Amino acid sequence: MDTIWIKLLFSLLTIFIVLNYGLLLQGVVRKIGARVGRRYGIRWYQPWIDIIKNYAKRTKITHGIMYYIAPAFRLTGGIGLLLFMPVIYGTDMFSNFSFTGDLLLLLYFQFFGVLGMALGAAEGGHPYSAMGVSRGLAQVTAYELTLTLGIIAIAVQYQTLSITEIVAAQQGGIANWTIITNPLAGIALMLAFLAAMGRSPFDVVIAPQEIPIGPPTEFHSGLLGVLQLNRAIFPAAKLILFMNLLFGGATDWGTLIIKTFLIYMWSVFVGVAFPRFRVDQSIRWYLFIPLIIGVLAVLFMKF
Amino acid sequence: MVTPIYIIVALLGVAFALGFSGQKQIKAAGTLALGALAFSLFVSLEWLIGLYTETYKSTQIFTAGVNPPFSINLFMGTGEALFTTLINFIGLFGGLYLFNKLIKKGRSTFIALLMLIMGLNVVVMTRDMFNLFVFLEISSVATAGLIILNQNKKSLAAGFKYIIATGIIAGILLIGIIFMYRFTGSLNIDDIPTGNLLMIKGFGTAIFLILTSILLELKPFPANGWGLDVYQGTHAGISVFISAASGTALLYVLYKFIPLMSPSFAFALSLVGGLTFIASNLLGLKQTHPNRLLGYSSIGQIGLVVLVIGLAPYLGDKFEYIAIALLGTHVFAKAGLFWISGIIQKDNIRKWTILRKNKLLTILFGVFMLALLGFPPFPSFFGKWELITELAGNGFISWMVIILLGSFLEAVYLFRWLGYILKLEAAKKELQPISWNKYLPIIISAILLIASGFGMSYLHEHAKFINYIPLIVAAAFILIDRLPVFIKNTLAIASVGLWYYMMYPDLEEFRLIFATIFLVGGIITLLAGYAYKGKRQGFYPMALIMFAGLGGLIEAKTTLEFFFAWELMTIGSYFLIIRGKKSISHALSYMLFSLGGAYAILAAFGLATVNNTGISLDILANLNIYAPAIFILLAIGFMTKTASLGLHIWLPGAHAEAETDVSPMVSAILLKAGLFGLIVMMIKMGDQMIFGLSISYFLGWLGVFTAIIGNLMAALQEDAKRLLAYSSIGVLGYALFGLALMSHLGWLGATSIAITHFMFKTTLFLAIGGVVWRLKTKNMYQMGGLIKKMPFSFISVLISIIVLAGIPPLTGFAGKWLFFNAIMEKGWYLQGALISFAGVIAFLYCFRLIHSVFLGQLKDEHRNVKEAPFWILLPQYIILGVLIIFSAFPNSLLKPIGEFITPYLPNGALVWDGQMAYSLYGYWNGELIMYAVVGIFVAVLLWIIFWNRKIKKVKQFDIVYAAERPFLPETTHYAYNFFAHYKKAVGILAQPMISNFWEGVSEIGHSVSDKIRRIYNGSGQAYLIHIIGFIVIIFLFTFGGF
Amino acid sequence: MIFSLVNISLIIGILLVLAGIWAAITQKNIIKIIIGFSLFDTGIHIIMVALGYVKNNTAPILDSENLRTGTADKIVDPIPQALVLTAIVIGLGVTALMLVYALKMYREKKSLNINSFKDLKW
Repeated sequence: MDTIWIKLLFSLLTIFIVLNYGLLLQGVVRKIGARVGRRYGIRWYQPWIDIIKNYAKRTKITHGIMYYIAPAFRLTGGIGLLLFMPVIYGTDMFSNFSFTGDLLLLLYFQFFGVLGMALGAAEGGHPYSAMGVSRGLAQVTAYELTLTLGIIAIAVQYQTLSITEIVAAQQGGIANWTIITNPLAGIALMLAFLAAMGRSPFDVVIAPQEIPIGPPTEFHSGLLGVLQLNRAIFPAAKLILFMNLLFGGATDWGTLIIKTFLIYMWSVFVGVAFPRFRVDQSIRWYLFIPLIIGVLAVLFMKF
Repeated sequence: MVTPIYIIVALLGVAFALGFSGQKQIKAAGTLALGALAFSLFVSLEWLIGLYTETYKSTQIFTAGVNPPFSINLFMGTGEALFTTLINFIGLFGGLYLFNKLIKKGRSTFIALLMLIMGLNVVVMTRDMFNLFVFLEISSVATAGLIILNQNKKSLAAGFKYIIATGIIAGILLIGIIFMYRFTGSLNIDDIPTGNLLMIKGFGTAIFLILTSILLELKPFPANGWGLDVYQGTHAGISVFISAASGTALLYVLYKFIPLMSPSFAFALSLVGGLTFIASNLLGLKQTHPNRLLGYSSIGQIGLVVLVIGLAPYLGDKFEYIAIALLGTHVFAKAGLFWISGIIQKDNIRKWTILRKNKLLTILFGVFMLALLGFPPFPSFFGKWELITELAGNGFISWMVIILLGSFLEAVYLFRWLGYILKLEAAKKELQPISWNKYLPIIISAILLIASGFGMSYLHEHAKFINYIPLIVAAAFILIDRLPVFIKNTLAIASVGLWYYMMYPDLEEFRLIFATIFLVGGIITLLAGYAYKGKRQGFYPMALIMFAGLGGLIEAKTTLEFFFAWELMTIGSYFLIIRGKKSISHALSYMLFSLGGAYAILAAFGLATVNNTGISLDILANLNIYAPAIFILLAIGFMTKTASLGLHIWLPGAHAEAETDVSPMVSAILLKAGLFGLIVMMIKMGDQMIFGLSISYFLGWLGVFTAIIGNLMAALQEDAKRLLAYSSIGVLGYALFGLALMSHLGWLGATSIAITHFMFKTTLFLAIGGVVWRLKTKNMYQMGGLIKKMPFSFISVLISIIVLAGIPPLTGFAGKWLFFNAIMEKGWYLQGALISFAGVIAFLYCFRLIHSVFLGQLKDEHRNVKEAPFWILLPQYIILGVLIIFSAFPNSLLKPIGEFITPYLPNGALVWDGQMAYSLYGYWNGELIMYAVVGIFVAVLLWIIFWNRKIKKVKQFDIVYAAERPFLPETTHYAYNFFAHYKKAVGILAQPMISNFWEGVSEIGHSVSDKIRRIYNGSGQAYLIHIIGFIVIIFLFTFGGF
Repeated sequence: MIFSLVNISLIIGILLVLAGIWAAITQKNIIKIIIGFSLFDTGIHIIMVALGYVKNNTAPILDSENLRTGTADKIVDPIPQALVLTAIVIGLGVTALMLVYALKMYREKKSLNINSFKDLKW
């Protein structure tokens, strides 16, 4: 009985750390983006302020039950993804609930929040929400193929679907990282990673300029606050996942932060350098070069 | 015991006597004539029964007090008794049917009828060749007289062509006979030396001329234009005599001559028969005149029997069984159809909608049609089965192809016709009242057809074990069709339930799983039937026939029982599908694909008997020849039901247009029959290699592409039910892929997908069906916002799509997880990635479905919509409950299935530790995941509730809309062409290439048909040229000119 | 001997058959077609008789004279002749029926051209 409570405690701790790290990451990255664009940009702690502001709003409206519980789906998706993953390799406690399922669980569970969110957004009745979801789902199908190929290549390489074991196999120096030992799979995954993070050139889902913030259009106040919590946790969880798959995982929080920050920078650099794709363009792009790399990665493992 | 000579005496005597009757006593005279016919029927029937029960002995009847060959002798054996019975049956009931008409035209018509039937009786019985000629001529003259019963330019022209054609043919027969006499000194068939005598100069010619002229009388392709014109030109009641009586008699003559045939002539005979069968059915494709169409069918059927006669030496002791089954069906069915046509009297099959005003006649029409096409339980089913089996045993693959192809072509036009009758815009006029003497022959024919079907099956060494009870129960529902739905539904559920209960103790492994899907699933979907009001006529018999077939598949021990059940299921589901709206083309293509598949299965089962003993399903396990071919044929057959890519085009329309509770039956349940077949096949046969490549490897790829294309098409539909239909194609693609993996985990995945697909597709079709029920539209963009009106349906759809999409924590994830592990094990990485790609595409249509229907903007006209009826919701919630249990406790579902699979595929089984499943690569605990997810969700939800205590509900249009106010739900609901961008990117995959392909095939078939039938240019002289050309060609063929 | 009575009648018979068929196929007038038929029939009858003929034998009439003189075995085979008689009768019936048809067809369309009766086809 005690272990369960301790586990819960550590889970909460994990969530807390990752949440704050995610918010920090958001602020810093936006700052960097602004500086690259010769603007001053926000203050690095702006994300915290936004959340507090949203929770403090007095007017709260709902469009219906699905709309109301959608943030719960969304945040459950984010937290679940985080907790089903071994965050810090080698520590039993920060592996949280990773003993309940393997890589495949993560792969499919990430859609839990997406789907619930999409439903809530759709009940809002705003056409932009539905439009955003439609674009998002379409894009997901495209990069998911590359992602799957990369993951299969890695799973074949290590003959396991358990993330813990995948990380374990990469211990002992950079030379053992998957990105070095299996570069094709690494490249495929890192290309898929770009769209998974939803940054430019694959940010038409949210499309900040022309359809104000896509699926969450209708959300506000406390509900938006929940979404914002997720927006910190979910990308961070994904970063940890990619770190675990490709970059040897992390044995302590410091390594984790450095590694994930650098991984994130990859998508940030690409984002500031390349303009946005339309959905059909990004789909075609993913179904060409990344797909070929993914297929090569898999074929390479097969023969 | 009455000597058969009295048949002649009675018919001839009455015919003479009628000459003395005046027009005033015409009714009495007619009755007398019918009496004579009845007497003949009695005599021949008495002989038939006597000979069959062996109380009588076959008898020679001598005339003129001198022995043959100096006098004419008749012979009465079993064959003669049977054939004269058939002829006299047609004579009596054909006369009864035409009674009023004949009376109107006067006594001479009765005389002609009597002479025709007498002539045919003698033709069957006589052993003397000249006598044969004389009575053939008598019946020809009588026929020519009857043809102009309705005197008009059409019947006159047809009759004249008939006379000149039969005149020439008879002349040739006569020449043959006189030559025969010249060389043998006898006119008696029994005196003529048998054996391969065709090569003896002169004598051979004589035999050739006799045989060819008899063959010509049977209207072989292409020398049969005169026959077709008669069918079209004369009264349908007369066509009955020509098709059913004359054809029967002449076939018997041909049969009598079998001993005289040389192998080369027998081969020519079977070629001509086969060609006639295929060609006339091909030409029927373009035909719209009902009587001419029946003529084509009739000529085709007789061609088939000619083919069988030609192959007689190879068919061994099965020959008579086959020939009688095929011919008997032809006689009763064709007579019935012509008789119905005589009542309808429309010159285009599109105008036959008037028939459906009369339920009884419609049912009878269906009976005759199904019988013609060799569906169970009619005699031709068993005949065709035996024929194919025997042909396979002889290695006659091309004959099998010819027969199956011809049957298929026949099915095309007959089912098209049936579709027109059942579904085309109804005619305004009512049918004229029909007198009893027209009904009676038709009804008796149908009864005899069914009875002879049971008889044939009783005579068959294997067919007698077929369980007919479910079919009989289903048929009994026709009798109570007038009762209200509530009673019938209860009875239907009770009977299906009882059957499952009785079957249950014998069920094991896959049979248990699929029996549960078929029958328990059937009960659950039948529950929705309570939502219907009124009588719902015609639904229950057909639904139960389908379930009888499905259950029969489970019970089947032999290939015959399996095929029998398969065909039953096809019939039942066809009629269920055609009940839908706009279903004509979809039901037809469903039937054609099913039939094509069924014929592939039939051919495979036939081939499986080669070098094997018995027909138990186990023979599939020890094939020593043709194994890859059998595997492929069976796979094709089963994949027509699982709607794999290439064979899927029937599905979307058929499922989408079906009624609310029929859609789940034909989608969630029926498709599993194909999977069951595949599983049975793979268990017995394992994998097979062709050219050194594994066939299952191809099946795997096929499954992958089916899944991708099915899901992609689903995402691009506007019609909600069509979306679900395409989704079924996709999901069945996964299942096919899983089976093709041929590994423990692959099968576990496939089976669990089969089970979950049954569950979520039932709920989805019922939920969406409930929406359509209320909204009267299937277009999703016309819906929207219904969550507020139909919350229960919404929840049902929500849970179903989460399962469908395979998102944890619900049970759909199990399938995804198993597949990933299976492909890792098998090394099919590319296929695996593509399958999971297909899975992601499924998200597209899942979201589209739930968004466009339930979310977004509620339309003004739907503001008063009510929740779906209780009885439609109930089955959904029963299933949802089970789904949740399976999700939380996956081992309750997967562990038993794994145990079923282990005996066949032991390697790589899951290791269970409580609810924790371990594979070689990964692990997964459904229960803990469920707790974790629910725990997090509840925590977050409480957090939300805590922070939003004072949340206010707003109206539909209170949304943040850039600088303006939305004013119409229609313009605000983003639903139409939802994935326009996706279409732009990958739409090239969604082109209807396969539909185009099949349409092209159909187009080519029809064009060829139209081109070839131009040889029948209507000129009697051209027909004569055909006849002479035919003789020359057959001559050259038989005597080695080629 | 090629030009025996039998052979000559056979050849004539065959020629008549051919002529009859030729007429039935090429002539457009229905009456002419029927005449062609009669020729065809007649040809067959001649063939039949020719095949049954035996040189120098007598007619197949069995009377006391034959029996007394012992020439009963010198008569020709009676069966072909009987057959011919029957065939002639049947041919007559068929021809009559054809003529009735011709009459009715003429009444229907006021034409005896076979090409006017091509309504039924395909």
